[in-house]
Formats: sequence, C-alpha cells, structure tokens
Amino acid sequence: MQTTEIFSSQLPVGEILSIKRTRFEPTKKKEGAKRISIVTGIHGDELEGQYVIYLLAKWLQENQNSIHGIIDLYPAVNALGVDSITRGFPIYEVDLNRAFPGGKHEFLPGQLVHALSLDVQGSDIAIDIHSSNIFLREIPQIRINKEFSPTTLRLAKQLNCDFIWIHDAVTVLEATFSHTMNSLGTKTLVVEMGVGMRLTKEYGVQLLNGILNLMKKEKIIITDEKFEARKPFSSEVGDVFYLNSPTSGLFVPELDHCAVIKKGEKIGTIVNPLDGKVLHTLYAPNGGILFTLREYPIVYEGSLIARIFGNNNEKN
Amino acid sequence: MKKIEILKIDSLNRAPLIIEGYLFEGSDPDAPSVAIVGAMEGKTIIPLYTASKLVDFLKNGIDDSSKILGNILVIPSINHYALNINERFWPLDKTDINMMFPGYDQGETTQRIAKKVFDALEGYTHGIILKTRNDLSTCMPYIKLFQSGYEDLKDAKKFGFRIIHHKELKPTDTVSLQYNWQLWGTKAYSIICPNVNHVNTATSNEVLEGVINFLSKKKIIKYKLLSGYQSTIIRKPDIEIIKTPKSGIFIPTKKIGAYVAKDEMIGKIVHSLEGEVVHRIFAPCNGLIACHYKNALIFENAVAFRVVKSG
Ligand SMILES: [Zn+2]
Repeated sequence: MQTTEIFSSQLPVGEILSIKRTRFEPTKKKEGAKRISIVTGIHGDELEGQYVIYLLAKWLQENQNSIHGIIDLYPAVNALGVDSITRGFPIYEVDLNRAFPGGKHEFLPGQLVHALSLDVQGSDIAIDIHSSNIFLREIPQIRINKEFSPTTLRLAKQLNCDFIWIHDAVTVLEATFSHTMNSLGTKTLVVEMGVGMRLTKEYGVQLLNGILNLMKKEKIIITDEKFEARKPFSSEVGDVFYLNSPTSGLFVPELDHCAVIKKGEKIGTIVNPLDGKVLHTLYAPNGGILFTLREYPIVYEGSLIARIFGNNNEKN
Repeated sequence: MKKIEILKIDSLNRAPLIIEGYLFEGSDPDAPSVAIVGAMEGKTIIPLYTASKLVDFLKNGIDDSSKILGNILVIPSINHYALNINERFWPLDKTDINMMFPGYDQGETTQRIAKKVFDALEGYTHGIILKTRNDLSTCMPYIKLFQSGYEDLKDAKKFGFRIIHHKELKPTDTVSLQYNWQLWGTKAYSIICPNVNHVNTATSNEVLEGVINFLSKKKIIKYKLLSGYQSTIIRKPDIEIIKTPKSGIFIPTKKIGAYVAKDEMIGKIVHSLEGEVVHRIFAPCNGLIACHYKNALIFENAVAFRVVKSG
C-alpha cells in the first residue's frame, strides 16, 4: 500500500492543498492484471463514498494476498469542500463535475480535475461514488450514459446496487468525470446512494460487496470469499416518474424511502408551520419503487420530492 | 412604460419572489426590438446597476417617448433572493440560473424560473445579457459571443466596447441563456461587466453607455451619444495569460484598461505571513490589460492577468 499526492497547491496563507491517492498492488507485478480506480468526494458535501473507500481499504489491508491487480483509491477529490461542507470548489463556487477534463493552464479547479483525469487515465475501470446531495436520499443505484452502456452495463450489474438508470446523452454532462474517463477508454460507472452530509452504513457495506464482487469477476482480486450481487432493476424495462413540489413550504414525508408504492398513495404533505395548515397533499403519480425521496424539508415550488421507478401501465 | 410580472414564486419564510420586467413600447412597429437581462446572480453589482439605470434613462432620460422606436424590455434582476443575502446562486440549492436554459416548467425551481424568463424573452430580435466573469477575475466591459454558428459579430461592434471575445463553445455553455436565445432566433450578446461589489460612478456607467450606443445604432431608440471604440475581435491566440507561480497577497500595480510594455512590472505577490515580495509579475508582451484577479488572496498558478497582445 502506498499513498501519494496526485495534486498539490500552496494556498495563500500557510497551507498546502493536497489531493491523495492510495494504491494497492501485489508485491510481484502480475502480467495482464487490470487496474481499477475508486473516486469519491468530487462533490464536497457527499460523504457516503468515504465510508465505502474506508471499508475497501480495510479489506485490502486484511487480504493483501488476494490482490492481483492495481486498486487506486481517491477518497476526497474536493478536499477543501469535504472539510468545509461545500459542494463545489470553495471560493470559485465551481461544480468540479462540470469542470472536466480541465487543463494545466486553467483555474485551480480545472487544474485539479485535470490532475485527477491524468492519474486515473489508463485504468480499466473507474467507479465514481456520489451521494446525491443534501436535499435527496437515493437507494444505491448506477447512472449510465446510453452512449457508453454497451461497455459499462455489464459491469454495473456486478455492483450489488438496486437500480441501474440508463439516461440519454446530454451535452452539458460531457464535462463530468465519467464522460471524460469513458471517452478516454476507462469504463466508468457513477454510483449514487444515500444522502449528502451523512453516512448510511448499510449502503456502504452493500456497495463494498458489489465492488469486491466486480473486482473478483475482473480478477483484480483472487479470493475464495463469496460476494453476493443482487439483481438490479433497470430503467430499460420501465419509466422514471418525477414528483416536484407544486408549492413552497415544509415537506413532511409519510412513507419510507425505498418503499414499493401504489399509484395514488400518499407520499407526504407540504405544510405551513405559521398557521398549522396543510398546503398540499402529495400522492404517487405512478406505482413502483420510491427510489428518491426528499430529505431536506424546506421546499420551493419545483423542488424535487420523489422519483418513482415503475411500469407505465401499472394497475396496482 | 409598463411593468409586467414575469413570475412569482412563494417562499415559506421569505416574501414572494416577484420578477418584473419594464416594457417600453416602441413607436415604430417595424423597428427591431430588444430585451435586456440584468442580474441573474448575486455578489456583484454592475449588471443590476446598469439595468436599473437603463430603466431610469428610458423613463426619464429621453425627453420624448416617441424616440423609443422599437419595443424594449428590461429585467433588472432575476435573483433578488441571492442579491439580498449576498449569495451568488439560487440560495436554497445553489444552482446557477444561467445553467438552466431553455428551462423546464415541470422541473426544479431554477429550471422553472429559467423557463418563465425565457418565455418572456422570446421573439425579441435582439437580446443583451449583463454578466460578470465566471472565474475570480474582474475585467473591462467587453462582449462575449460564443462560436456557435448563430453569432453576429458585426452587430456586436455597435456597443463600442474595446473588445469582442469570440469564445469557443464549451459543453456547459449549451445550457446558457446566450446560446439558447440564439438558437431560438434572437441575436443575443453577453456584456461581461467588471466583477465588483461597489459602484464607482466614473467607470460603472461605461456598460450603460455601451447599451445606449447599441440601441441607438440599431435604431431602437433615437438618441445621439458619442460613439465608443471600434471593437477588436479577439480569440484565444490573441490573449496572453499571465499566471502567478506563487500564492499569497496579490497586488496589481497596473490598472485594467492600461497598455503595458513587454517586461514592465504589472503586479506583485506578497508573502501572506512574512510580508516580503515573493514574486514580481512582468508583462510578457506589449498589450492591453483586459482582466485581473479580483481578490487579494491568490492561489498558486492562478491567472493573475489577461493581456490582449498588441504589436
Ligand atoms: Zn455528487
């Protein structure tokens, strides 16, 4: 195991910004072995991935002899953001996941993401772990750009997640880590799970199993230990239904996240604490699985409340 | 002048956000029309100040309202909520309204705001967006036009600013107002304003003068003003980027808008704890200082100056 600095910058007042990567590799280099990079903290307010990487590093420490390929861990890409509850790069207010591929001569956020893409480049597989944001809670899911699904879908199915969401190509998303790495030939998967600023321990363990399972299948680790991979449902065989708040107020949920719900079932209410009145009652627009649920209770008109994955003509 | 409500959003704990436009109806139905968008974000003042002074000019500065030939819509601010609490973006989810166009009426709050604003802006022959730079630098006022295939460089000269930056289109620009407005048939221009949070009457009116120049040259208003500069179109190779190898306290010693000679000292970096000068910045070429870093604390390898090359 070796920790190295992939990017550093002397900050204006007595501090060095340092982005670190830890590499696990076998003591004797194995011919043809693959390399995987696990990246998290591109958004500074998302911490679930830190726990996953901790669990993974711990497993690899305890199972050194199983390591066959190269495993690179990047637990805090936006290090300044992670330590200051800031989603974007502080001061610049830039979303790092809209700044790829960056460049050596760009502003500091651009230099940082450029250093990351250079360092990850050459990996066979990359996994970018996100945890939604502070507003929404997500079940463990993989987001895949349709353009790259022929190569990445097979890998996504190994990751022990509950849902695979294949979305259309959107130009603005070309500035993401995953698009950049996929274009450079690294098969890159985006995981979204949990909620911003918090850890969801069971999700961490679930994804750890998925990553170990994928690494075993790809012969990056060789072990007799068995890892389960649950069969995810996939957006290929259904639709995603959105529920946005029709009004501003305080959202009070009625259901548990991840519940299987029926069309018309009550999801929650929007209330006004000032007069004790219910401003709006929210019902499921369709039956299915409630895979996204509002966590931050203050909402404006338009704020996302829930996403449901289901079958369009569901009668239940 | 008519005040029109473009959108109203309620808030649980704040007064409703009401975005209004000031519509000046022209006397000549054949004249071109223009819409002007002021502050889409907070933490900066010139876009708001310019738009509000334009309302005053059209209302009180023109002696005869028949001199307003084409329809003019001015939306001084879209993001009062951010301006009032010194946030830059939408205060709840920190999203940038200028990353939400053309908008979506069933989407998130800022997508809905973008949609309603975009609906109000549709159909104008010309559009002017008042913005500041997205990075941490301030600049002299200039026109930014994306290389999108829809841009009108000739008309951009009518503002009379010294520089027209003909900029390569990035993926994130495809959700900006300028790009989408052009896609929908409006000749749109972004005026990049000095990125400051105070009004200095000597220089803050420059942007307003540019807008009035454009309105008068496009015969949207009948008003005589001294012409501005013959604008120079610049692209990437025309700009020299000057970075600081050291972080610390940045002190520019030459002002924006000044011509500098090769090897002339234009700024310095002072050690933030020990006070000594750790780096001196010299002009690498002859040229005009168009931008410099706006904060005192500067990062290592940050762009300290942008100089438009001359000679
Ligand atoms: Zn994220």
